[in-house]
Amino acid sequence: MINHFKKLFSGKNTIILVPYLWFILLVAVPLLIVLKISLSEMSATSLTDMLSWSQGWPTIKINFASYLFLATDPLYIDTYLSSIKYALLTTLICLVVGFPFAYFMARAPKHLQPMLLMLIMLPFWTSFLLRIYAWKTLLVSNGIINNALLSFGVINQPLAMMNNSFSLVLGMVYSYLPFMILPLYANLSKLDVRFLEAAADLGASALKTFWLVTIPLSKAGIIAGSMLVFIPAVGEYVIPELLGGSDTLMIGRVLWDEFFANNDWPMASAVAVVMMLLILLPMSLFNGYQSEQAESKP
Amino acid sequence: MNKTFARTWLVIVYLFLYLPIITLVIYSFNDSPLVSIWSQASLRWYRALANDSVLIASVALSFKIALMVGLLSVFFGTFTAFVLAKYKCFYGRTFFFSMATAPLVMPDVIVGLSLLLMLVSLQHWLGFPERGLLTILLGHALLGTAYAAVVVGSRLKEMDFRLDEAAMDLGCKPRQVFRLITFPLMMPSLISAFLLTFTLSFDDVVLASFLSGPGYSTLPMVIFSRARLGLNPSINAVAAVTIAVVSVTVIVSSIYHARTQRKRNHEIAMRYSDGSQ
Amino acid sequence: MATEPKPNKVKTDLLRVENITKVFDGVIKAVDNVSLTVAQGEIFALLGGSGCGKSTLLRLLAGFETPTKGRIFLAGQDITDLPPYQRPINMMFQSYALFPHLTVWQNIAFGLQRDHMPKAQIAERVESMLKLVQLTSFAQRKPHQLSGGQQQRVALARSLAKQPKLLLLDEPLGALDKKLREKTQVELVGIIEEVGVTCVLVTHDQEEAMTMASTIAVMREGTILQTGTPDEVYERPNSRQVAEFIGDVNIFEGQIETYAADHVCIRSEACMHYVMHGISGHVGLPVAVAVRPEKIVLSKERPAGEVNWCAGEVVAVVYFGDHTIYHIQLANAQVIKAQQMNRTTDLAEVIAWGDQVYASWSSLAMVVLVQ
Repeated sequence: MINHFKKLFSGKNTIILVPYLWFILLVAVPLLIVLKISLSEMSATSLTDMLSWSQGWPTIKINFASYLFLATDPLYIDTYLSSIKYALLTTLICLVVGFPFAYFMARAPKHLQPMLLMLIMLPFWTSFLLRIYAWKTLLVSNGIINNALLSFGVINQPLAMMNNSFSLVLGMVYSYLPFMILPLYANLSKLDVRFLEAAADLGASALKTFWLVTIPLSKAGIIAGSMLVFIPAVGEYVIPELLGGSDTLMIGRVLWDEFFANNDWPMASAVAVVMMLLILLPMSLFNGYQSEQAESKP
Repeated sequence: MNKTFARTWLVIVYLFLYLPIITLVIYSFNDSPLVSIWSQASLRWYRALANDSVLIASVALSFKIALMVGLLSVFFGTFTAFVLAKYKCFYGRTFFFSMATAPLVMPDVIVGLSLLLMLVSLQHWLGFPERGLLTILLGHALLGTAYAAVVVGSRLKEMDFRLDEAAMDLGCKPRQVFRLITFPLMMPSLISAFLLTFTLSFDDVVLASFLSGPGYSTLPMVIFSRARLGLNPSINAVAAVTIAVVSVTVIVSSIYHARTQRKRNHEIAMRYSDGSQ
Repeated sequence: MATEPKPNKVKTDLLRVENITKVFDGVIKAVDNVSLTVAQGEIFALLGGSGCGKSTLLRLLAGFETPTKGRIFLAGQDITDLPPYQRPINMMFQSYALFPHLTVWQNIAFGLQRDHMPKAQIAERVESMLKLVQLTSFAQRKPHQLSGGQQQRVALARSLAKQPKLLLLDEPLGALDKKLREKTQVELVGIIEEVGVTCVLVTHDQEEAMTMASTIAVMREGTILQTGTPDEVYERPNSRQVAEFIGDVNIFEGQIETYAADHVCIRSEACMHYVMHGISGHVGLPVAVAVRPEKIVLSKERPAGEVNWCAGEVVAVVYFGDHTIYHIQLANAQVIKAQQMNRTTDLAEVIAWGDQVYASWSSLAMVVLVQ
C-alpha cells in the first residue's frame, strides 16, 4: 500500500510537474496577467488593483477603456488590418519562392543535400538583426545598390527602396524564408518517389502529377511553413522598425510604442490581447500539425 | 523538372540569402564613415571595435546569458520532450502541449510584454527579481525550452523504447535506464539543442529590450539602438566578426558530422563482407 | 525436436500461470483466463496468429505488463507483482534491442553489472558467453558493425549471461530467411540445451514451433486451444480450429453410422470412413473427420474395399520441388488436397492435371472431431 502511495508522488508525476510548472509560470500566468492588465487603468505610477474589497465583499473593477479605444480608433483598426495584410503577403511570397526551392533541394543528388541544407541554415545562425541592418545599407538612397546602379548608368535617380512597403516585405521575406523552406523540405524529402511513379504509370503528365499528387501530399509541410511565417510576422517589430516607414503600419510597433514611449501598459496589453485573438485560429492549426507530427511514425 | 531551371532557382535564392551577409563583410573593410560609399580598404573599424567598451561589455553579457540559457533550455526542453514522448495520457496534456508550442510561433513582442508584466507582478509580490540579467535569462530560457523540446523531441521519436525494456529486463531500475541508455543516446540532440538556444539567446533583441534593466545591455540591444539612428560602420565590423565565428563553427561541425556519417555507413557496409553469418 | 531425446527425468514445474487475464483500456481482452505450466528444462512454444494474445502473455511473464487478474509463479515464488528488473527472467527481443552505444562485450556485461557482480567474475562470464555463441573475436564491435545473425547471437548471449531461471524468446527465427532459419534453429536449440535453461518462445510460424519446442500451446483470441507435444497437437488436434490452424487438413463432415468400442463408421458425402479407434459419442452424432494431405495415397487404379477412399478429378497441381500437392475435386464438388513426394525425376509418369484419380488412406490416418 505504501508502495502505491510512493509511486503516486515520485517518478512519473514529478517528471511531469517540472516542465508543467515551468510553462505555467512563464506562459499561462503571464498571458493571464496581460489579460488582467488590459482590463484595468494605468495610474501615474502603478496599476490600480482590479480586485478590491468593499464592505467585506470582493468587487472586480473591469475597465474596458483600452478596448473601446481600439475598437473605435480607425488608426488601430487600419494597423491590425495592415499587419495581417503584410503577413499574408510575406507568407505568400515565401511559399511561391520557397516551395520550388524545397522541391529542388529534395530532388537534388542525395550526397549534396546535407550541404544544401547547411547553406540554408548558415544565414539562420548568423544574427538576424545584423542581416536586416545589412539590407538598410543596401537599400538606402545612397546605399550600395543605388550607388552601383547609378554608377553603371542604369538609372538616373536613386530608387526609393527604403522605408516603404517594398523594403518591409523584402526584409520579412528574407528573414522568414528559411522557416518556410525547412518544414517543406522535411516533408518533401520524405515524399516517396513511388507515388509520382505510380501517377505517371497511370497516365498523368508532369504538371498534373505535381498538382494532383505532390501538392496534396505536401499539405502538412505547406501548412507548417505558412504558420511558422504568418503568425510571428503579424506581430513583427524589428523589421518594420528598421526597414519600414511611417506609412507601413505594423501592430508590433504600436505595441512597443504604447509600452516604451507612452508607458501605457493597459493599452499595450489590450493591443496584445487582440493580436492574440487574431492569431488564435492559425495557432491552433499549427498546434494540430505539431501534434500530428508527434503522433506519426518517423 | 528541367534541371537548369532547378539549378538557377536554387542559385538565385542562395544569392538572395547571402547578398546582405557578403556586403556586410566587404564593407566592414571600408575606410569611409559613410557606410555605403566605398573609399578604400582599411582595418579602421576593427581597431575601433577593440576600444568600444560599451560594445565589448555587451558581448560579455550576451555571452554569459546565452551560456546559461543554453543549459536551462536543454534541461527544461529535455524534460518537456521526454514527458510528451513517454506519457501519452495525463491530466491536462493538450494544455501542456499548447503551452510548449506557443513560444515557437507567438510574436516576440507578446512574449516579451507578457513576461515583463508577470515579472513586475512578481516583484511587487515577492520583492524580487529586479529587472536585469535574471529576467532576460528567464525570457530567453522560455523561448529556448520550446525550441529545445522540438529538437530533442524529434530525436526521442526515433528512439526505440524497446531498448528501455531490454535494459529493465536485464536488471535496470527506471532511473538507471535513463542514465545509462536514454541519455547517452540523446547526447547529440542535446548538443544541437544547446547550440540552437545559445544562438537564439545571443541574437534576440525584443525580449531583451522588454526584460532588461538599467545597466544591462546585451549586444543586440546595443546594435539595435545604433542601427535605429542610422548606418554605423562599427556594426559592420561586429557583423563580420560574428559571421566569421558562426560560419567557421557551422562548417566545421557539418564536416565533422558528414565524416562520422560516412565512417558509420562504411562500417555497416563492411559487416557483410566478413563472410561469417 | 532436433536433438536426440534425453532419458526421462522427473519433471518439476518451473513456471505456473494461473488464470491470467489481461484487459487493455477496459475493453480489449488480450489474454482471457489462461493457465499453463512449464516444466523445468522444457522448451514451451506459444503458437498463434497475430492478435491471439501470445505476445501479451510473453510480456506478462517478463513483467512489462501487469495482469488484470491471476497470478504467476516461478519456482514456487509468486512473481506477479515484481517489476521486470527483479525477476529472474530474461528475454531475447525480436528486434534484438542491442544497445547501440555499447560494444558487444558491454552489451553482454550490462545485466551482470546491474547485479554488482565483481569485475573479475563479470569478465569470466562474458568470455564464456562469447565462446558459447562463437563471437569471441567480435567482442569490441558495436551492433551496427554486425550482421543480423551475429546481432541475434549477441542478443542470445546477453539474455543468457545472468543464468536466468526462465528464458523468453520473442519470434526468434522471424527475421531470417529459410536457409538461415534452419541453421539458426539447430544452433539455438543446441545452445539452449547445453545451458539447460527453461524456455518459453512465442511464434506465429508452426514450423518454428514444431521443430524447436517440446510442448506447444496453440492460442487464439486470448485463450489456449490445446497444449501438447508437437505430434499430439498435429496428429490429435482436439478441435477443428486447431486442426485447421496447424498445417493443411481435409475436413469431411458426416454422421456416425456405426458405433463400437474400438471403431466407428462415419458417413460423409464423399465416402464411408472407418476409423480404427473409439470415440465418445453416439450413432447419429454429427462429426468432422480430418485427414491430412500427406496421409492420402493417390492412384489411378480403384482401391480394394469399400471404405476410406474417394474418387475425383485433379483440378490443380502445385509443385514444391520435393513434393507436389494435388487439388482433387470429388463428385460432391468438395476439393481435397493430397500430398505426394516426388519419388521420380521423370514426372511424366506421375499424376497430371485433369486425371481421374482415387484418393485413399489408412484407417489409422484420421482424426474425428466433434463439431
